[in-house]
Amino acid sequence: MRTPPDMLRHPWSLGLAVAIVGVFLGSTTAEGVPAFARKYQTSCQTCHTIFPKLNAFGEAFRLKGYRMPGETEEMIKEKPVSLGAPAYKRLWPKAVWPGEVSSAVPLAVNVKMGFVNTSTLNEDGSTTSVKYDFQFPQEVNLFGAGTLGDHVSYLAEVTFAENPDSSVSVELEHARIQFDSPFGPEDLFHIRFGKFAPNLVDGFQEMWLSTDAAIDSLFAYNPIGVNGGVGLAGDISPQPIALPDRVRGIEAYGIYEHRLMWVAGIANGISPGPNGGFDGNNAKDYYARVDYKIGGMGLDGDTGGKPVPAENWRDDSLRIGAFIYRGDGSQINYASPPPPDAPEFNLQDAHFLRTGIYVSGYIRDLNVFGAYVHGSDTIQQFDPTSAILIGQTEPTYDALFVQADYVIYPWLQASGRYETVSVGDPTVPSLRSAVFNLSALIRANVKAMVEYQRDLRAGENHSLNVLVRFAF
Amino acid sequence: MRKFSLFAVVVGLLAITSASPASRLSAAGSSITGAVKATGLSSNADAIVYVQEAPGGKPLAPVTMDQRKMQFLPHVLPVTVGTTVKFLNSDPTPHNVFSPDFEKYNLGTWPQGQSKDYVFSKCAKFPCAYTQLCRVHPEMEGFVVVVPNTYFAVSDHEGHYEIPNVPPGQYVLAVWHPKLKAQPKPVTVEAGKNATVDFVLAK
Repeated sequence: MRTPPDMLRHPWSLGLAVAIVGVFLGSTTAEGVPAFARKYQTSCQTCHTIFPKLNAFGEAFRLKGYRMPGETEEMIKEKPVSLGAPAYKRLWPKAVWPGEVSSAVPLAVNVKMGFVNTSTLNEDGSTTSVKYDFQFPQEVNLFGAGTLGDHVSYLAEVTFAENPDSSVSVELEHARIQFDSPFGPEDLFHIRFGKFAPNLVDGFQEMWLSTDAAIDSLFAYNPIGVNGGVGLAGDISPQPIALPDRVRGIEAYGIYEHRLMWVAGIANGISPGPNGGFDGNNAKDYYARVDYKIGGMGLDGDTGGKPVPAENWRDDSLRIGAFIYRGDGSQINYASPPPPDAPEFNLQDAHFLRTGIYVSGYIRDLNVFGAYVHGSDTIQQFDPTSAILIGQTEPTYDALFVQADYVIYPWLQASGRYETVSVGDPTVPSLRSAVFNLSALIRANVKAMVEYQRDLRAGENHSLNVLVRFAF
Repeated sequence: MRKFSLFAVVVGLLAITSASPASRLSAAGSSITGAVKATGLSSNADAIVYVQEAPGGKPLAPVTMDQRKMQFLPHVLPVTVGTTVKFLNSDPTPHNVFSPDFEKYNLGTWPQGQSKDYVFSKCAKFPCAYTQLCRVHPEMEGFVVVVPNTYFAVSDHEGHYEIPNVPPGQYVLAVWHPKLKAQPKPVTVEAGKNATVDFVLAK
C-alpha cells in the first residue's frame, strides 16, 4: 500500500501545471491609470517608464496616496469639487468632515489585445498548439482612482476578460480606500482597507511589471503537497497561497526619513470560505516588510535638493528589502491528488511561512531586480470521513526570480527574466522558466509588446505573443 | 466726419478710464502698491495687504457680502471694527450664514433677495478673520477680515494690489491670506511718491 507521501510524488504534475497555467494564463492584468494624466494634465511618462512600470517619481506618487511630491493646488489642473469648506474641520464632530471629489468621473480604461502562439506539453507527451490566434481583445480593465480630499485616496479596478466562447469573466481586482498621513510626520503612516495588491510585493507584482507574463514562480506556485508543492495552482479552489498578489485586508505602511519603508498587514488569507464567507477560515494571515533605498530619489519623492536626471527612468540607486508572510490554512481542505486505487484524504496547510528578500538596482538605463522567497508549510493529512489527523509533513521550497529591464530609447525597453522554484522534496522537479520582452510605446498611452516565454525544463511549453495595450 | 469725432471721444474716454489705478491715485496721494505671489496656488487673489498701525480705524460704510451662484462674493472682504456687513442672498435657493470664529454667530437662513446685517464690533488682535459658512451648502466659504484701519487692499488674480492715499510715514505692511502666510515688511511712504512692496506667500 502506498503511503500518502508516496502518492504525492508526481514529477509530471509540475510540468503539466506549467504548461497549462504558466504559458496560457500567467499574464498580467493591470496597467497605468490615465485618470491621473487628466487630473494633472500631464503625460504618462511623468510616472511611468513603459507603463505600467513606475519610475521613481511614480513610485513616490503611489506611496503618497496618489499625490505628487510637494503637490500644490496649481499642479492640479482638473479642479476637484469641494464637498465642504475646510473650516468644517474645526466644527467636527458637529459637522461632516469636508472632502472632495474629482470634477470629472475619474475613470480610466485599459485594453489588451493579443496575437497568441503557444505550445503546450500534455500529460501523455503530446503537444497542443495555438497558432496565430487573434485574441482581440483579451481583456479590458476599468479603473477608478484618485483622492477624496486631504488624506484620503482610493483605487478600484474591474477586469473584464473575454473567454474563447465570447463569454466574459469579470473580476474585481482592486477596491480599496486609504488614509494617508492622517497624523504625524508626512508619509510616516498610511493605512488602507479593502482588496489590494499588498505593498509586500509591490516591486514585482503584476500590477507594476512591464512584462505580460506574471511571476508565477512566486505567486502561482501551489505548495499543497505532502512533500512539497506539485506545480502551479491553476484553478484550484480555494486558491492556496505562495505569495499573495492581492489580499483582502488592512495594511499600514509608511516612509521614514525618505528612505526607509515599513509595511505591516493583516489579511483574510486563503479564500473563499465556506457558507458564503470570504475568509477560508477564522484565522488571519499577517505580513510585514521593511526596505531601504540608497541613492536616487527618496521613496517619498525627496531629492535632497539634488537635480534629478532628465531621463525620467534613470534613478541610480539600490533598494533592498526583506519581507515575511505568515498564513494559516487550517480547517481548509484540499483533496489529495487521486492516483488510481489510492485512498483519498484531505490536506490542510495548517500554517505556512514565507520569508524573502527583494533587491532592485538602477544603473543609468538598466534596472535589475529580483526576489528570493523561502517557503515552509505544515501540511496535515486528514481522513476525509472521520477528520482524524493521519500525518503531518513540513515541506519547504525556494523561489527566485531575476529580471533586467533596459531602456533602449525612451519609447523602447527590453526585458528578460529568469525564474525558478526548487521544491524541498528532491523527487519533485524544479520549475524554471524564462521570459523575454520587447516593449515599445507607439504613443505615450499605446504599447506594443513582443514576448517569448519558455519553460526551461520542458521546451515544448513556450509561447510567442504579440500584445497591444492602450489606455485612455 | 461726425462718426470719426464720436469715435475719437470714445477712444479718449476709454484711455482715461483705463489708466492704471496707480497713475490716477498718485495725483491724490501716495500709494503703496505691489504684487503678491501665492506660492503653489493657481491664483494670487484674495490676499489682504494692510498697514498694521495707522490712523483711520473708523468703521466703513456698510458693505455687502453677496451669496451668488453658490459662492460668497467677494470671497474675501476686509472691514474695520464696527463695520456692518450686509449678507445678501441673490440665489434662488435659501442660504444660511454662520461663523465658527471668535464670538461665533449664526444669522439663520433666508431666501433670495433678502439680507441680514452683522456688525463686526470687536477684534482683540488684528487681523480677525471670520470664516463665513453656509449650513445649507457646506462647500461655500468666505472670509470677513477685520483689519485695524482703512489702509488695505485685496490682491487680484495676478497678485496686484494698491493701497491708495496713505499719509507719508513709516509703516509696517502685513498680509493675510486664507491659506498662506508671509512676514510683515516695513515700508516708507513719501509724499507724492508711490512705495512698492511685494510679498511671497507660503504655507
